[in-house]
Order: sequence, then structure tokens, then C-alpha cells
Amino acid sequence: MIKTNNLVKVFRTDEVETTALNNVNLEINNGEFVAIMGPSGCGKSTLLNIIGLLDNPSQGELHFNGYQVEKYTERQRTNLRKENIGFVFQSFNLIDELTVFENVELPLLYLKVSSSERKKRVNEALERMNIAHRAKHFPQQLSGGQQQRVAIARAVISKPNLILADEPTGNLDSGNGEEVMNLLSQLNEEGTTIVMVTHSPSDADRSHRIIQLFDGHVVTENMRQKL
Amino acid sequence: MIKILLHTVLRGLSRQKVYSLINILGLATGVTCTLLILIWIEFETSYDTFHQDVKQIYSVYENQKYADGDIFSVYSTPSPLAETLKKDIPEIENATRIVSSWGQLTVNVGGRNFIEKGGKIVDADFFKIFSFEKIYGDTTNCFLNPNSIVLSQKIANKYFGDINPVGKTVVINSKYKFEVSAVLENARENSSITYDFLLPFNFFQEFWDYDLKDWEANTFHTFVKLRKNANRNDVRKKISKIISKHVLNSNVELDMQAFGDYHLYSINKGSAGPIWYVRLFFIVAIVILLIACFNYMNLATARSERRSKEVAIRKVVGAQRRGLVGLFLGESLFFTIIALGISIVLVELLLPEFGDMINRHLELNPGNYKFFFATIIVVLLTGIVSGSYPAAYLSSFAPIQIIRGFSRHDSALVRKILVVIQFTMSVALFISTGIIYQQLAFLKRSDIGYNKDNIVYVELGGNFNNNYEQLKNEWIKIPGVNWVTAANQMPVNFANSTWDVNWSGKLKEAGDILFQLSFVDFDFIETFEMNVIQGRTFSKQYGADTLQFIINESAASKMNMENSIGEKLTIWGKKGHIIGVVKDFNFNSLKVGVDPLIIMRNPAAFKYVGIRIGKDRQPVIINKIRKSWNKILPEIPFTYRRLSDDFDYFYQAESRMSKLFLSFTLVAFIISCLGLFGLASFITERKAREVAMRKVFGANMDQVFHLLLKDFLKWMLFAIAAAWTMAYFVMEWWLNGFAYRIHIGIGIFLISAMLTFLIAFLTIYKLISSLSGIAPANMLKYE
Repeated sequence: MIKTNNLVKVFRTDEVETTALNNVNLEINNGEFVAIMGPSGCGKSTLLNIIGLLDNPSQGELHFNGYQVEKYTERQRTNLRKENIGFVFQSFNLIDELTVFENVELPLLYLKVSSSERKKRVNEALERMNIAHRAKHFPQQLSGGQQQRVAIARAVISKPNLILADEPTGNLDSGNGEEVMNLLSQLNEEGTTIVMVTHSPSDADRSHRIIQLFDGHVVTENMRQKL
Repeated sequence: MIKILLHTVLRGLSRQKVYSLINILGLATGVTCTLLILIWIEFETSYDTFHQDVKQIYSVYENQKYADGDIFSVYSTPSPLAETLKKDIPEIENATRIVSSWGQLTVNVGGRNFIEKGGKIVDADFFKIFSFEKIYGDTTNCFLNPNSIVLSQKIANKYFGDINPVGKTVVINSKYKFEVSAVLENARENSSITYDFLLPFNFFQEFWDYDLKDWEANTFHTFVKLRKNANRNDVRKKISKIISKHVLNSNVELDMQAFGDYHLYSINKGSAGPIWYVRLFFIVAIVILLIACFNYMNLATARSERRSKEVAIRKVVGAQRRGLVGLFLGESLFFTIIALGISIVLVELLLPEFGDMINRHLELNPGNYKFFFATIIVVLLTGIVSGSYPAAYLSSFAPIQIIRGFSRHDSALVRKILVVIQFTMSVALFISTGIIYQQLAFLKRSDIGYNKDNIVYVELGGNFNNNYEQLKNEWIKIPGVNWVTAANQMPVNFANSTWDVNWSGKLKEAGDILFQLSFVDFDFIETFEMNVIQGRTFSKQYGADTLQFIINESAASKMNMENSIGEKLTIWGKKGHIIGVVKDFNFNSLKVGVDPLIIMRNPAAFKYVGIRIGKDRQPVIINKIRKSWNKILPEIPFTYRRLSDDFDYFYQAESRMSKLFLSFTLVAFIISCLGLFGLASFITERKAREVAMRKVFGANMDQVFHLLLKDFLKWMLFAIAAAWTMAYFVMEWWLNGFAYRIHIGIGIFLISAMLTFLIAFLTIYKLISSLSGIAPANMLKYE
């Protein structure tokens, strides 16, 4: 599904040049659950953003579903992203002015799904995430765990085949974190590919494979026994 | 999608009440001013358009060419012109003369007397050219009967009450009997032609003993209606030389002005006419709307910190930039529509006030399609212009930057520039208003060469000289009445001119020079306190003194005379001598200079009596004057005017303009302050951390305060410099339109700067002081 060839990402300011990724080569297959780990500043999030088509690599190739996409325009990347990729962030990133329902509905609006179909799918997703009773609430009225469940509902609503999660349990207590990880694992079992950046070894334990990054390099790749 | 947009906007509104209020009020103020100005412009441009055939109607005017190359254009044309045009030019279907009844007429209806000034004398074609609605009677052939009168509804009601008066009789000046043949609607507010009643021309000939065959006397307005499909330019060519066919060596060419342009455009080259004000205020409307739009831009982008996350998330889940631009434009349109709602209420409330200010009766008529479309255009433009920059700016955020945490986008410079432009425009408006006021004050108090104060005058009808002598004898006895004199015109409205003047030593190549003429009685110079610089004034010691002339300085210099006393002068073939030279005085608006003037004593032409009264107890003196009048002329009501009021009338347009300018300047300042407040709150938000850090490292409150204030004042300084330059050049140009003008002083500029700093300081003081009082721990913890 995803393949990178000698991926390089350099951040430049007027005086400083920082190499965030240095010749990263990796391959992620359909249905895999991959965890990316490493110390702060090693390039985990940068890698995730590039895979998620939110950012462009400075050099190297990026293949997504067989297409070479690193030179795609903004418009092409948006189209590819909205149909194939769901995002879950550490800080949830819900829109404060929209209700839970409207936040989850948002991707479907951009996919031009009909109103009745949207309603049906959003209700299903909220039921599934066990927050249907909060549909009319605003994000600030929810606990962190509930917000993250809304974010996951939003990520899966468009039925993407890839979910990118950036420290999804980072802002949660252990109970809520556990719940979120259960949901992600469940989605993976249903066939969704998941790439997750995390600091937490126990969260990483849920994955099939752990990619260790250090100073922008892939250091090790550990295959794990599927649980 | 629209539902979601509405939800987002409405929730944003209720969550950020101050922000939303500032935004909506700013836009509402801008839209209100624009709508008020548009209603006025619509009114001005609607003048005379209610006539069915307005596109075929033209006003014929004269271009008089003078020796110095000047062309003087006047609507006054000779009496036989209308009929000649109709006869000689096949394209002309109808033609009419129009002239106001000279002076006042006494109308007797069933034993009651009414003094009327609003009569018009017209030809029968008047009713075929103009479409004033008929209420009673018939106008088709009414003026075939020389004793017909047509009344306006107002006058018909005044004379006869609420009945059909057709067939009733009225008597004018106790002698001329007329039968009412029709009643017309009152002349509309937007009609250039006004009338209380209409009379046929034979009355004019009889009553004023006027030679209607005379091609050399210009007295009448001539209006023509062309046949459908007639070519206007062909007609213009054909009429151009008509006067010279009838007048030997004529310096006159005829031309025509479309009747639709009659109200707004001047026929004199180089003078724009009222259209100038229409255009000026159209620009003012745009400036105020722009200031309001800038406000919105400013505040909307100031919120970018808050909105950036939303933009990022929308982009991550699939929004394209185009869609986001639409979203933000939709938002600004939504705000504008709410503002429009408030504006409509404000316009409804302010319209009477605004109408008073510009001396017009204006109405908000939503059924008027022009106004309806103009409103839609204003809303769309405001929405799009306001939303354009925020939409372009906010939609440009790359989601990755925000997600990564680099959310500090720098639009601060653009916002500062917007506030600078707002203040530039406001300060420039302020300075312009100040200068307009100064110029008006200058005109009102400047030495006009005579004393216009404490003069009252009355118009005297009937047998003038008989009544005048009696009145003068009575009035002069009243304590407090200093001088009494008579003249054909008061020195505020000289409108009698001739080029038929000869003097010894007049050079052939000097060609024709236009001289103003005034016919006055003894004591005229004394009554108006004019200064005689050579010779003497008219005096009974010299008998009637009718073949002597007093000229003004300009006339002396045009005639190239060093010592004019005793020189021979011939006017209209009448020979006489110059007996005095009077210092130039302004008998017209100070916008124009002083023309050469010849004054002679001609009792036959007198129409007004001027009275100089003392400064004190004027009501008592005027009451005594009234009593004497009532004794001598009991059948005519006494009405008088003050010369100084007439003088103010000259500057009415400027006076109105200055009031409007003042109002709009206030509005501009208010909106600009809202903008500054928005900018200040944004910067305060941004600078909170910097201030906290400075405090940690030892800055005290005063130092922080100065640091923040300095930044704002620097930008205000830019605005003031730009406004000074702009206002200076624009006002220099405006002042150059006056023959007498002030020189722009530094005072108003300094006041504008001080005022701007003060306003800016007051606007941002609270915000800055709240920031400098902040506890650093709060900010740093938050960050």
C-alpha cells in the first residue's frame, strides 16, 4: 500500500537546516498495523505527515496504492486523501464551533455524500464509538476520551483503507487510552491498515510491526506476533 | 453545506459577541451611509424623468461669445425663438417659452386677496411637451382662450377648497379676469419646472407691456420636443445660427441640452453643476464602505489564530482551497446581510434627518427597482470585498503547519496597512471638512464691498412709484430706519446685463464686453454703504439724474479709463456721463469675481425697496414698517426678506456639503476606531507572551506600556502624513474653484494630528493597560 524510496525531508529556515528524515525506505502492506517509535524529534510525525499526504518530501519517492504521489499537486493530494486516509491526532483536533455530529459528518460533505446517507453513516459511526448520546454536544463539553472517540468516528466515517494515528492516546488517561486502542485494533481486524506514531510501548504492542526511528533514520523494524 | 455554514457562523456570532458586534456595526454603519447617499443620488438623477417624452425634450440655450474669448452660456432666449424653431425646423414637433411671473401678483378670489410669486407664463405647447398629470379640466386647447388659467392642486385647494374649480373666476391685480380651465398635479419634488399656476402669453404682453417680437431681449426659457427618431445633432446644427439671422452682428450661437441633464449638468463649460456633488458623495460613499470593509478584513484576519485550526482540519478531511474561499466569502456575505437588516432600520430612522440636511424630501421606497438592485450590489460588493482578503489569507494555511504547531501566520503587516488606510481616509475627510468650514466662514465674513447686514427689503407690485414715494416718506420717519432706497434688483442677485455699451476711446478690436446693469434710486449707494472712490452718487440736487452713470472699478479698468469722471457713455443708444466710480463690491457669490457694472437711475425699472435699519430693537422697527405698509397698502400682505439671508443662500450648497462632510467624517472615524480596536486586541493577544517574558526579565509596567503604544503611534503617524498630503492637494484644487479663497493654514493639520493621536490613544489604552498589568505566570503557564 505504501512504499518509500530514500525519503528525505529537510526543514530550512533562514540560517538553520534540519534534516528530519534521512533516506527512509519502508513498505507497509494492506491490512497491516504498524507502530512508529523513537525519541522526540526523531522524525516520527514528519514521516506520518508525509505518508498522510499532508506534507511533501524534499527528496525520494512515495508510492501510495501503486501510484507515485510525491509530486502530486495540492488538489490531487486532497482528493487522494479524502477518499483513502483517516487521521487521528493526539490533540483530537475537533472543530469547536461544530457539534459532535457535524464534526463526524464533515468528511462526507467533502465527498458529496447525500444528506440521508450522511445521517445514516454518522449515526452508525457514533453508535459504534458509543457516543451517540453526545451527538448534539460540542467538543468542549466532552471528556478527552470521548473527544478522541469522536475523532476516530470522523477518521473512519469515509471508510478509508488507511488510518494514520499520531499518538492517539497521548492526551488520555490509561482507561480511555485502552478504549481507544481497542477501537483501533478492532478497525484493523476489519481490514483497515493502521499506521500509528507512539511513545507508549504498550500501545505499540498492539501492532504487527514496530519501526524504530532515530535522527531521521530507520534503525530497526521488528515483526511482532499477531495477537 | 449552507446549513453547516450558517451553523458555524451563528455559533461564532454568539461565542464571540464583541468581535461580532464590532464587525456587524462597522458594516452596518458603512452600508447605512452608502444607502443614504444612494437614495439621494437616485433622487437627484430622477429629476424630470417622469415626463413621458423626456428623451425627446431639450432646453435651448445661448452661447454668447465675448471679446476675451469667454463663452457665457445662458438659458435666457428671445421671445420669438420658440415659434420660429417650430416653424423652421421640421424635426421640432413642439416648442414653448416659459417665464416666471415677474415679481408678485395679487390674486383675488371671491373677495379674498392672495399674494403669489409662483406663477409661470407658458405657451400652449407646454402641455404637449411636459406630462404633468391633469386632475380636473382639459389642457388640450385651454390657452387658445387668452383668459384661461391653469392651477396647481395646491393653489386650487387654497382658493377653492376641495371642489372642482374648473369654470371659476380669479382676478389678477384687480384688473385681469381669468377662468380656471384645468387643475394639474403639484409639481413633483424632482421636477425642474415648478409652478403654482400657469398663464398664457398674451397676459405677459399686456401686463408687462413687453415686446414679444423683440429678438434682442433675452427673457425666456425655450423648451422643444423633437419628433420621434429625429437626430439630435442635426437639429443642433440647424438651430445654431438662428439668432444671427434675426440679429445683426450677433455673438450668439444656439445649442440644446437634453432635458434629462437639465437639473444636474451646467451648460457653462468648466463648471460642472450639481453632478459634481453627486459624484463627490458617490466617492465618499465608496470610501466609507471601503473603510467598513477594511474593518471586517482586519477583524476577520485577526481571528486567524482561532480559525487556523478549523481550516487545517477541514483541509485534512478533504476540503479544497476553493471550497474554503467560498466558505469565508459566504461568511462575510452573511455578516453583510445581517448588517443590511440593521442598515435598513437605520436608513428609515435617519432619512428625514438626512433629507433636512441636504434640503430634500427623501423616501425609502423598497419597490423602487433601481434602489433594490443598488442595495443588492452594495451587499454583494461589501460581502465580497470584506471577505476577499480573509478568504485568500485563511484558506492559504497549510494544514501541516498548524498541526505541527507553527500556527503563527503573519498577516499583521497587511492589517496594519489596512488600519493606516482607514485612518488616512478619516483624517483626510476631517481636514477637508475643516477647510470647507474655514472657506465658508471666510466667504461669509469677507469684505464684499458693502454692508449686507441690517438690510431688509420688500418687493413692491402694482403702481410702484406712487406707492414707493408714500412708503418712503412714512418709513424714513420711523426711528431706527436709516436709509430707504429702491432698485430693480438687490445686490445679491444681479442678473441684468448688456454688451450694447459705447464710450469714447472704445477700441474696435476690444469687441463686445458684457456689462452688468443696475437701476437704482437716490440713496442706493448710501443705503448699502458702498464706497465711492471718485466723483459723486446720484442726488436730487441734480434733478432726476437719470442720464448719469456710476461705474465700478472693474468697468473703469475694462474701459481703460484712468479718470472716468465726466467721460461720455452710451447705453442702448442713450447718451450720458460718468459721475462716479464705486469700489468693486460683490453682487454675486464670491465663487465668481466681480464683473464690470454700470449703475444708473431709472425709476421705471424699480421693483424692490431696500431699507437700512439700526442694529438694535429690529423687531420693533420692522413692526413699525409693517404698520405703515398696512396703512398705505391694506389689501396686500406685508412680506419682507433680510439681505443677509439671501447672502447665505449663495453658499447653501457648500454649507450643506460641509454638514454632510462633517457627518461622514464622524462615521469614518467611528469605523476606523473599531478597526483600530480590533487590531489592538489582536496584537494584545499576540504580544501577551512577549510581555510576560519581558516582565520576567525585569521590565516594569510603564516600560511595557510605552513599548506597545510606540508601535501603534508609529502607524498612526504614517496615516497622518498620508492624509495631510492627500487633503492638501484635494483641497487646494477645490479652493481654486473660488475667486476668493483662504490659504490653507497649518492649524487644521495640527488639530487633525492631535485628535487622531488622542482618539487612537483612547481606543487602545484599555487594551494595552490590561496587557501590561498581566501576571507573567499566567501567560507562560498557558504557553
